[in-house]
Amino acid sequence: MAAIPILWISILAPILLAPLLYRLGSRTKERTGWIAFAILLYPLAVSTYALLSGKNIVDPLISISPIVGSFGMLTDGLSAPIFFIISLLSAILAVYSIPYMKHRIEAGKGTVPGYGPFYALFVLYFAGMAGTVLSTNLLSFFMFFELMLVPSFFLIALWGYGERVRISFMYLLWTHVGAVILLLGILATGFYGNTFDIGILTGLSGLSPSWIPAGAMKWVGASILLGLLVKMSVFSLHIWLPYAHAEAPTPISAILSPAMVGIGGYAIVRIVGQIYLPFLQDISLFLMGWALVTMVYGGFMALKQDDFKKLLAYSTISQMGYMLLGIASLQPLGITGGIFHYVSHATAKGLLFMIAGSFILQGNGLRSIRRMGGFAKVMPYTAIAGTIGFLTLAGAPPFNGFQSEWMLFKGALSLGLGGLGMSAVMLGIAALASTALTAGYVVWTIRRIFFGPYDATKTKMSDPPHTIIGPLIVLIAVTILLGIFPQVVVGPLYSYATTLLGG
Amino acid sequence: MSEVTSLITYAGWLTWILPIVGAVVTLLLAKVSATARNYGAVLFSFLAAVMALNLLPAALKGDPIFLSVSWIPALQIEASLVIDPLSAFMANVVAWISFLIMVYSLGYMKGDEGLTRYWFFMNYFIGNMLLLVLSNNLLLTFFAWEGVGLSSYMLISHWYHDPKDKWVGDMKRTALGVATAFSPSHAGSKAFVITRIGDIGFLIAILSIYHFTNTFNILGPNSLQSLQVEWMAGLATLGLLVPMLLLLLGGSIGKSAQFPLHEWLPDAMTGPTSVSALIHAATMVNAGVFFIARFSPMLFANIGTYENMLIFFQVVAWIGAITAFIAATQAMVAREVKKVLAYSTISQIGFMVMALGVGGIAMQYASGYFAGIYHLMSQAVFKASLFMAAGALLHAVASRYMWDMGGMRKEMKITFVAMVLASLSLAGIPPFLGFWSKDAILSVALTSGEFGIFALGFITVAITAFYSIRMIGLIFTGKKSENVMKIEKKDRNHFKIPKLMWVPALLLAVVSLVGGIIAPLGFEHRLEAFLVAPLETLASSSPITSQTIFFTAGISLVMVALGGLSAYSLYIRRNVDPQTITKGPLGTLHKFFYNRWYIDPLYYRTMVNGSMAFAGGAYKYFEMGIMDKVNTVIPLAGERLSRLTRNAQTGQLQEYATVLMIAAIVLAFIIMVI
Repeated sequence: MAAIPILWISILAPILLAPLLYRLGSRTKERTGWIAFAILLYPLAVSTYALLSGKNIVDPLISISPIVGSFGMLTDGLSAPIFFIISLLSAILAVYSIPYMKHRIEAGKGTVPGYGPFYALFVLYFAGMAGTVLSTNLLSFFMFFELMLVPSFFLIALWGYGERVRISFMYLLWTHVGAVILLLGILATGFYGNTFDIGILTGLSGLSPSWIPAGAMKWVGASILLGLLVKMSVFSLHIWLPYAHAEAPTPISAILSPAMVGIGGYAIVRIVGQIYLPFLQDISLFLMGWALVTMVYGGFMALKQDDFKKLLAYSTISQMGYMLLGIASLQPLGITGGIFHYVSHATAKGLLFMIAGSFILQGNGLRSIRRMGGFAKVMPYTAIAGTIGFLTLAGAPPFNGFQSEWMLFKGALSLGLGGLGMSAVMLGIAALASTALTAGYVVWTIRRIFFGPYDATKTKMSDPPHTIIGPLIVLIAVTILLGIFPQVVVGPLYSYATTLLGG
Repeated sequence: MSEVTSLITYAGWLTWILPIVGAVVTLLLAKVSATARNYGAVLFSFLAAVMALNLLPAALKGDPIFLSVSWIPALQIEASLVIDPLSAFMANVVAWISFLIMVYSLGYMKGDEGLTRYWFFMNYFIGNMLLLVLSNNLLLTFFAWEGVGLSSYMLISHWYHDPKDKWVGDMKRTALGVATAFSPSHAGSKAFVITRIGDIGFLIAILSIYHFTNTFNILGPNSLQSLQVEWMAGLATLGLLVPMLLLLLGGSIGKSAQFPLHEWLPDAMTGPTSVSALIHAATMVNAGVFFIARFSPMLFANIGTYENMLIFFQVVAWIGAITAFIAATQAMVAREVKKVLAYSTISQIGFMVMALGVGGIAMQYASGYFAGIYHLMSQAVFKASLFMAAGALLHAVASRYMWDMGGMRKEMKITFVAMVLASLSLAGIPPFLGFWSKDAILSVALTSGEFGIFALGFITVAITAFYSIRMIGLIFTGKKSENVMKIEKKDRNHFKIPKLMWVPALLLAVVSLVGGIIAPLGFEHRLEAFLVAPLETLASSSPITSQTIFFTAGISLVMVALGGLSAYSLYIRRNVDPQTITKGPLGTLHKFFYNRWYIDPLYYRTMVNGSMAFAGGAYKYFEMGIMDKVNTVIPLAGERLSRLTRNAQTGQLQEYATVLMIAAIVLAFIIMVI
């Protein structure tokens, strides 16, 4: 146990320093981004340590009252990779935002606020996500869950595009409805378990299964699950996502899409998986079916998009289907693959939203794929990053999507082969077959954007500045390293999953 | 002893790592100078070939050597290589032919804009292919398998800006309303997606097998081979054994361009000709054949235990035979020289796949196995030579159509010699290597007693001879075309080709002649003994009789004469104007073949257009029509809300932030009080 609460500091430091950024912003202008980056380097260092050491880090528990339980911060096999990716993306996107937000704020000509508020909200947003992932208590989990919602709402409303106010409210309402359902479940859990401490509740569900009546478990589990599925934007609960992701300022899209949405999947394992495992087992196959529909639906919708950011948004929906498929299989390798896929998707979609931002920056708001083509010639670095991002989604080695996808699909297939029968086997096979759709929209989009003749009279393009290329290179490196050496993520995660499932 | 072991360890790993390192080094050398980059890239492929050579002594000794390092310790997955006759032989075929193609590239790709990218992916391609043949772990195999797919995607679309002269197919021509011309970027994407469809089957199968074995290792202790009872029985109980094996076959069908996943290969001709040579001779299409050879011994070993295991071999044999036939008919009518070669590759690979299948049916597994690998080698040699020669022609006449050539015999003597030698091997004319290896396949097919298969095989032999001679006739004999005369008038030196290009082409053509001469003098026998040594336990008690072999050779020669002579009279003697074939009743058939049996346009109409139509309908009527309507309620409410808040809106962010902070503190406070 660490003597210094390094995890608490990772979250509280950005929160406490946010007002400073706010004040400084008007003076330091776009360079505020470097200050935000410096602040975020601390959590990045901590999360890298947590990931590489492979050890659980538990911060001192702050105990308030026996009913509430204690508040702690924890990295284990499950939360360490997610914490790492959130820190990494936030840190490099702070740098990325320097040129991007300069463009946005200058183009906004006074209709959008300045750098100070942006970076203040930006680090708060980070703190919200990281806190959600590290919390050991359902109440602090929920508080941070809300904390990530509110800054993101403002970020979309103030610096977004199009009908940004309307869309940010749509986003707020949808996710709030989800949050309220989630809160009901959390309160009911506390009522039955007499504590909100996730660790104690997990122990309770393992040792005395009668802690909650079977009938109640179904409803409480379902309401938590539903709340999280809204965040994950599975099919039929997804309609807010394409709007929010498309119209948010691009650095925020690059966090919203890969990092925040997937937290829903993480929390399904952390909360529903740990506390309501029997319930989850009952609906496993149903949930996998839902995941499959999400995969396919998102893929088909992505085929029809002309707005590049909207295409990426639908692709996110599809990818969340992948993640849910692995998790819902409730197989050790399935859960490992599902959570690992959060990481893969985050690196890939991070890259892709960042290049979407490059197009906006270099092409004067360019988002329509119809107006693109042949960009590999004039923006080679962007083309490399984009191609790698797309191929990661398609599960091509040596990128990390390859590793996470085979693992989660193995989980999906094992369910049927392990005795759940032919329909489960067919479900697994169908899920794998649907990856052809991903491959299809991926290569087609690469072709439409980067290949083909380049017409300078249509759109004049060139590679973006170093502050954008640099972050791209960092993500590419992570993508390839984890694709070849997945052990650092998979090792602790797999043993977590095995323990969770009673192995 | 230990020294030998360490040498083989290094050689095993370095064989495939060196080209991949070379790929990365190329990027760095590009900063130094173009010459350093070019020769550096070739050097690394040479080093790989030298390393591959070092594998042979160990493989000759007998027992397979396993090299492993930990890869994903949490799952006990090892990166494991196996060095046995099959992998060592394949590694040498791949590495040496690749090296020659790299040398050829120095001349062929000279002055190309994207050379750094080209060298990177060529070496990456070679490295992954070598890893694929050396791998003893299905996951690692799949890793390399996809790496091969990725490189081919990038190399086929090398000229990604789609200049008109790099397209294949006839512009403006359509079949069933689908365009028949393909741009490089289109062809690359097509190759990626079609092979991916096969790969999905492959992945489903290996993951399902892994479920029962918890290991991906193919051979050796704790492997799929040693645990074959577990996984086969496990799958068989669920009735999934044969379905899974057929899905496994999917990967091979895709990569080796076999029916029904063969349609990507003809269009892959949009890549540089050197890339075509690499894909067709040394790397990609061989992967599927190799994998069947790697995996099927353990299947054949269980043919007595599971009676429907025979279905697997029947499917393999039929797919091979059908593909060989379909593709050959298309090669007969193709107008583009590279397309003739592409169809011919599909057809020849079909022969190899057929060999592996009929070996199982005929209970002559070892013979089929040998015949398949033997033909793989001889095809690799003559096809690489043919492509290199074709590349020289393309440079010289600046057209991909054979009708724009003609009478080139005197102008390009070396290319003529190389191409004739290699074509005779392709046509199966003795004493070339192609004759012996094809004969080995056909004799197994005859023994299998599957009439349909060997009938298709023999017919295809005739067709093969026909299109080989036709190609030679159209390019080198007859009158010079207008195009050639125009170029000649402008610049006679245009037909001169650099040494770096003709040496590798001629070298391989000579190899296919010399190899053919020594084949009956003991070479074939030794090679067979070497390759089938590990299959001792599967050897048939009654080997194929020499009567069968002579009988096959006899029919085969008759078929070659039939096809060859008719092509000779049509295209070399020109007794009849070849254009008449395109008219009349033969014309319908001609059109049917030319339009690729309408398989390709049908795929486009159903799969591509169908998916797009479905996506369009779903987006318009469901996503926007129904799902989004749910949303209009919320935005409406949102608008109301925003109007409300707008009243409170002072434009001051401090206020928002303050409210936010207070809210958070209040919430925290409430919780603490509880």
